[in-house]
Amino acid sequence: MFRRIISAGAVLALAIGLTACTSADETESALTVYSGRSEALIQPLIDSFEETTGIDVIVRYAGSAELAAQLLEEGNNSPADVFFAQDAGALGAIAKAGMLKTMNADLLALVPAEYSAEDGSWVGVSGRVRTLNYNPEKVTTLPGSVFDLAESRWRGRIGIAPTNASFQAFVTAMRVVEGERKTLQWLEAMKQNAVIFEKNSAILEAVETGQVDAGLINHYYWYARGKELGFDALTSKLAQFESGDVGNLINSAGVGLVSDSSAAVVFVEYLLSDFAQAYFADATSEYPLISGIDADVDLVPLTQIPGPKVDLSDLDGLEQTLDLIRQAGLM
Amino acid sequence: MKKPPKIVAALSISAALLAVLPILYLGLRLVQGFEKAIEELLRFRTIELLGNTTLLVLAVTISALAVGFVQAWLTTRSNIFFAPLFGVLAAMPLAIPSYVMALGFISLFPGFSGFLASWLVLTLSTAPFVFLAVTAAMVRADTATEEVARTLGLGKLAVIRKITWPAVKPAAFASSLLVALYVLSEFGAIALLRYDTFTRAIYNSYRGSFDRTSAAALAVVLLLITLLVIWFERKYRGDYQASPKALTKRLRVDLGALRLPSVALLSLVAIMGIGLPIISLVSWSVQGAASLDWGNLIAALLVSMQLAVSAGLLIGVFATAIALWSVRYRTKLGAFIETVSWATHAIPAIVVGLALVFFGANVTPWIYQTSWMLLIAYLILFLPNALSAISTPIAQVSKSLEEVSRSLGTPENKTLFKVVLPIAWPGIIAGVALVSLTVLKELPATLLLRPSEIDTLATRLWSATEDLAYSQAAPYALLLVIIAGLPALALNSQARRALTEVSS
Repeated sequence: MFRRIISAGAVLALAIGLTACTSADETESALTVYSGRSEALIQPLIDSFEETTGIDVIVRYAGSAELAAQLLEEGNNSPADVFFAQDAGALGAIAKAGMLKTMNADLLALVPAEYSAEDGSWVGVSGRVRTLNYNPEKVTTLPGSVFDLAESRWRGRIGIAPTNASFQAFVTAMRVVEGERKTLQWLEAMKQNAVIFEKNSAILEAVETGQVDAGLINHYYWYARGKELGFDALTSKLAQFESGDVGNLINSAGVGLVSDSSAAVVFVEYLLSDFAQAYFADATSEYPLISGIDADVDLVPLTQIPGPKVDLSDLDGLEQTLDLIRQAGLM
Repeated sequence: MKKPPKIVAALSISAALLAVLPILYLGLRLVQGFEKAIEELLRFRTIELLGNTTLLVLAVTISALAVGFVQAWLTTRSNIFFAPLFGVLAAMPLAIPSYVMALGFISLFPGFSGFLASWLVLTLSTAPFVFLAVTAAMVRADTATEEVARTLGLGKLAVIRKITWPAVKPAAFASSLLVALYVLSEFGAIALLRYDTFTRAIYNSYRGSFDRTSAAALAVVLLLITLLVIWFERKYRGDYQASPKALTKRLRVDLGALRLPSVALLSLVAIMGIGLPIISLVSWSVQGAASLDWGNLIAALLVSMQLAVSAGLLIGVFATAIALWSVRYRTKLGAFIETVSWATHAIPAIVVGLALVFFGANVTPWIYQTSWMLLIAYLILFLPNALSAISTPIAQVSKSLEEVSRSLGTPENKTLFKVVLPIAWPGIIAGVALVSLTVLKELPATLLLRPSEIDTLATRLWSATEDLAYSQAAPYALLLVIIAGLPALALNSQARRALTEVSS
C-alpha cells in the first residue's frame, strides 16, 4: 500500500508540475522582454503596447544585473528578444559579449547620441542624474566636488551604495574622467567616511530620518518621494556638484535587441514614442530623451545639469571598476 | 553485500547526479578564469569574509542548539505550564522566512543592523529546526532509564547530561548541521541587516557585476567550509540508536521554583520570534491593504502552493530512497550519495539557479523557464532538509523487526515496503511538510528559474522590498506566514500526538 502511495504521490507531483508549466508554452509567437525596470512602472506601458499593436508580450522582471548575468549564461539560446535595462553598464556588458544586434539608424537618430551606445548596440530611453541628497540642517556648506566628500569632516556622515549599479556606473565614469589612481584614493576615503547601504532608496530613507547627513543617489528617488508625501514633507534636499563634476553623471536607462524579431523593433519604437516618453516623464520623474517631450515641471531641465563629459559607451568597463571598489574594501 | 531495490538505487543516483550539476558548473567557471579566481581568493577581503562567516555560523549554531534543546526539554520532560502551547509556539518561527523576520525588526527598530542583529534574527529562525528534531527524539526515547538514574540519586542536571543528552545527540547534531548550513547560505536576512558573509559577497559579485568568476571562486570556499561542517557532524554525532517504543508512563521533572522563570524564558523567545515580526507585518499590511492588487495576490498564492506541494512530494520520494539506501543498507556508495546531496546545500541558491540557467538554456531548452526547472532546483536545494528529517525515523526502525519479517520468509525488498516504511511513515510525512515549507520561502533560485510572468508570494514580496515598499510587501509576507504556518502546525501536532500517545 505504501508503495502505491509513494508512486501516486510522484505521479501527482509531476501532474501538478505539468499543469503549472503550460503557461510557458505561449511563448512561441510572443515577444519576450527582459526588464530590469520594475513591474509597477513598466506593465501599464506593456498593456497599452499589446492593445495598440496586437503583439503579445511576455515580460521577465528582475534586477538589471541579475538579468544581464542570466543573459550571459543563456548565451545564444536566450528566449529574450529585448533587454530593457536600468543603466548603461548592464547593456554595455551584454553588448561586449556580442549579444546585442545593431540598432536601426532611424531609431538611434531619435535620441541625442550622448545617451546611447556609440556603436549603436543599444539606445537610451530615459535619463537620470546623480545628485547629492542632503539634510539642510546638518549640511550648511555644500561640497563643490564629489571629491570633497573624501575630507575627514565627512567621516560617518555620507551614505553610498557600492553594490548598486548606478553607483558603479558613476565610479566607472570617475575612472574614465579622473583616472584609476584618483578614483581608488576617493574610494579608500569612502571606506573611512561612508555608511554603506544596499540601494538608493535606503540612502534617501536614511538621510530623511537623520541616520546620515547626506548621500549619493539618482535624482528621481527624491522626486518620487516628494510626489508621494508632498515636497513640503521632505526633510532632505537635492544638490548638484560644480559644473563638469563627475558626481553629476547623467546616465540613461536603455534598450537593446537580443534577437532579430521584427516585433522587438516595434517595441523599441514604442518606447521612443511621444506617448511612452511622456509616461516616463510623468510616472518616474526621469528625463524623456526624444525632442518635443518636456520633463516633469518640478525638475531642473536636463540641459541645465552641469554633467561631466563622458561617453556612456565607456561605462561598460565595469570589471576594472569593481576591482577598484573591491580593492578599497567597499564590497 | 546486500543490495537495495532497483527503484531505490535509481532514484538515489539520479538525485545525486542532479545535485552535482552546480559543482560541475562551478568547475567550468573556474577553469575558464583560473588566474582571476586565484587573485580573488588571495585578497585580504577573503580572510575578512572567512572570519565574519565563521563567527556568525558558530554563534548562531550554538545559540540555536541551546534554545531548541531547552525548549524541547521543557515542553516534553518538565512540568512547565502550558507545555503543548509552548511546543506550538517554539515551532512557529519556522513559518516566518528569516528575511521577513529581519524586515519586521528593521521596520520596528530603524538602524537594527550588524553582527548582533544577524545573530539574533538567525537564531530565532533556526532554533525550531533543533526543537523539532530533539522533541521527536525525546518523545521516542524511553524515560525509564532516566527514572532509574534519578532513583539511584543522580541530580536533575546530571540526568540530562548523562542520559537525556546522549539519547537525543544524533538528532541534535543533525539539526545543528542544518542550522550551520542554513546560516552559511543565508542571504536575504543578512543583506537586509548589512552583515558581510561569503554568501552576500557571492550574491553581490553576481548582482553588481555579472562577475561570475570571482563569485564562483568564493562559492568554492563556501563549499569547502560546508564539507568541513559535514565532516565535523559525522565525526561527533555518534550512532543512531534504535530504541524500542517507550511504553512506560512519561516522567515529568518537577521544576520547582524554576517553573515561572521557565515560562518567562519561553515566552520571551516566542515574543521575539513570532510576536514582534507578526505585529510589524500586520500593522504594515493594514497600511497597505487599500492599494493591494488582490488578483496578483491570489495568483501568487496559487502558484506558491502548487510549487510547494509538488516539490515536497517529489523531494520526499527521492529523500526516502537515499535515506533507505544509506541507513538501512550501509553500503559505501549509499553513504557517498548521501554526502553528495548534503554538500551542495552550502552552494548559495543563486549559484544553483545560475547553474540551472546555464544547463537549462543550453542543454535542455525544452524545459527551460518551465516549472520543471524550478522543481529540479528545489530538489537540489532542499534534499538535505528532507534527508535530515527522514533519515532518523528510518534509522530508528528496529533491525530486529526486519529480521523477524525476513525469518518469516518475506523477501528483503518486500520487508522494506511492508515493515520499514510503514513504521517510518510519520517521520517521512514530517519531512515532506518541512520541505514544502522551505520551498514556499525560497527566493533567489525562484527568481532566476520561474517561468516568465509567473510570480510566487516570495518573488512578489521581494520586488516590493526592493523598493523598500514595506506596506506593499507586508500582505504577501503575512500570507506567506499563514500558508507556511499551517504545515508548521501540522508538523508539530505530529510531535504532540506522539506526546499524548506516550503520556496517556
